[in-house]
Amino acid sequence: MSFKRFSMRNNRQFYFYILCAICAFVSIAASSWATDSSTGKLSVYVVNYPLKYFAERIGGEHVKVVFPAPANVDPAYWLPEIKTISAYQQADLILLNGAGYAKWIYQVSLPQSKLVNTSVKFEEQYIRVKGAVSHSHGPGGQHAHEGVAFTTWIDFNLAAGQAKAIAVAFGRRRPQLKNTFEKNFADLKKDLLALDQSIKAIVSKNQNQPLIASHPVYDYFARRYGLNINSVHWEPDEIPSREQWMELQNILKHHPAQWMIWEGTPLKEPVERLKSLGINSLVYDPCGNMPQENDFLNVMHQNIENLQQAFP
Amino acid sequence: MIDSLYIAWKYISFNKIKTLTLVACITLISFLPIALQLLLAESERQLMSRAVSTPLVIGAKGSSLDLVMNTLYFGQEVPELISMASAKSVENMDLAIPIPLYTRFRARGNPIVGTTLDYFEFRRLKIAEGRQIAMLGDCVLGAKVSEKLGLKTGDSLVSSPESLFDLAGIYPLKMKIVGVLETSHTTDDLAVFVDLKTAWVIQGLGHGHQDVTRLKDPTLVYKRTESNVAATAKLYHYTEISEDNLASFHFHGDIGQYPITAVIAVPYDEKSGTILRGRYLAKEETRQIVKPGDVIDGLLQNIFRIKNVLDAVISIVALATILAIILVFALSLRLRQQEIKTIFKLGCSRMTIAWLLAAEIFIIVLISGLLCGAMIFTVDQYANDIVRMLFIR
Repeated sequence: MSFKRFSMRNNRQFYFYILCAICAFVSIAASSWATDSSTGKLSVYVVNYPLKYFAERIGGEHVKVVFPAPANVDPAYWLPEIKTISAYQQADLILLNGAGYAKWIYQVSLPQSKLVNTSVKFEEQYIRVKGAVSHSHGPGGQHAHEGVAFTTWIDFNLAAGQAKAIAVAFGRRRPQLKNTFEKNFADLKKDLLALDQSIKAIVSKNQNQPLIASHPVYDYFARRYGLNINSVHWEPDEIPSREQWMELQNILKHHPAQWMIWEGTPLKEPVERLKSLGINSLVYDPCGNMPQENDFLNVMHQNIENLQQAFP
Repeated sequence: MIDSLYIAWKYISFNKIKTLTLVACITLISFLPIALQLLLAESERQLMSRAVSTPLVIGAKGSSLDLVMNTLYFGQEVPELISMASAKSVENMDLAIPIPLYTRFRARGNPIVGTTLDYFEFRRLKIAEGRQIAMLGDCVLGAKVSEKLGLKTGDSLVSSPESLFDLAGIYPLKMKIVGVLETSHTTDDLAVFVDLKTAWVIQGLGHGHQDVTRLKDPTLVYKRTESNVAATAKLYHYTEISEDNLASFHFHGDIGQYPITAVIAVPYDEKSGTILRGRYLAKEETRQIVKPGDVIDGLLQNIFRIKNVLDAVISIVALATILAIILVFALSLRLRQQEIKTIFKLGCSRMTIAWLLAAEIFIIVLISGLLCGAMIFTVDQYANDIVRMLFIR
């Protein structure tokens, strides 16, 4: 009798343990499935630093944004290694700048369904670069390698458009977080439009003054803020050649600029030589690659501060 | 019983030609309908499984069968081309994931399928060896292509010119094999996969050459003005894409206007699929959207209609053959009257004689059955390949 009672109690315990094990298994399986399918961190790869900044601001803790370009390259002309391309292929989303930025994307294979061209909504506003030499060979007829200006984000209004495209793409991938992304985007947009207003206020003091850009990357900036910019093709870390100085002299004949805008801190020698020609230098960093310190917003605030020198 | 079989076997062995004729007749008559049934069932399985797993196909208006056969089975009949803008428009509608396909070129007899990486995910194709296509000029081989051509990762494969007589045409492209796919037991095993852009390079829409604006050799420049440089035919176009010349490869014009053969559209849900189909109903629309399942179903209906005719023919022939066999046996019995009388006189009962004749028939039917079984087994083993050879390729 006592054996029977003991056995019955044992049986109940056994069923209880089985039930607990099933519950534990179901809850673990459910949580791991949920993490894998739709609530895990979105893996996002980008082609330049501004997109990384926008994506991180909008996605917050829900995204893992990777920008694998080394610090010493221009991401617009960089070609990733096979290993890096494979990493891009594995991402949940690949954010592109559009406007022909990062030519390497036309030379590699990326999954079309994961690509998000952040500037496609305003592609009719792209600036075509004039002056490309056309060429012809074979049956294809004449064609030119003319490009499109790609530094879209330095027009902060366009930058806000790109940020919106990112928020929409994130919302599609994680519909349950759509409101969070929209709220984060609204905050970012506010910051970007504040920058926009600051520049407008600064340049309005003397909008028509001629400026020289050391590199032809300020097309969208010039158009948005109505600036009178002419470009040469100088690198901040190189001493310009004799031909480049002559080109500048020719430009100055019809474009008497007193300020040159540099992408990065220029070498001392060209700065002094420019000064002797009555041209001052200021840095306006488009911030295509990751800054060594600070973030996109800080760099832009510094740019605005630098710009103020030219518009006292 | 054993004695009857022994005597019957001796008789059959002696009358070889008569036995062979009877065995061949019975074997063929039983083999044909079963083999036909097997092949049709396999073709239905192959055609339908791939068709059903492909929700929608968009292509130029025209033969929907050509479109589906080219898109699903990479058939040699190339449908009228559409532009890449068709894939873009599906993307913009935001109702389905578009997977563009450009199945026009061949390499050593195997179709080169230009597509995007989404295709591999859609068809669940896995890399068995090497890596996925990553750069312009890379290709991955279907398992059977790799096996048939004896090619592996690291080797190269040259695209075949579309016409042997097109001497001024596009140079073939030497593609780098970067991976081999796992066997999928579908047409994907028989294809060479490249990125869509590589397919356009094969066509000559994208190319790599020296920077013509910096040419020093005067024999390479036909005419130079301030705004244009015309190169001579001597200008070398790269026929292989390497790390050194990759940057020189470029595409001219609007990529949206570049050709593709079809777009596989994978709708987000049933409703999106229905809306998407509705968008291609306008009369002035130059493209068609088809459900491959419906198209292949129509094809199978025709095949089964033909099968019914074949069945009827086979039944009549079978009946005629059976009658002929009965006649052969009857005539044989008449011819063997003397022989049967002798056996009877030797002391065999009528029953023993009947057993002898039955044993002869049994042995002939048994040999035919074994032969037929072996042939059916062979057909069953190779049904997959036979169907591809007969119906798909």
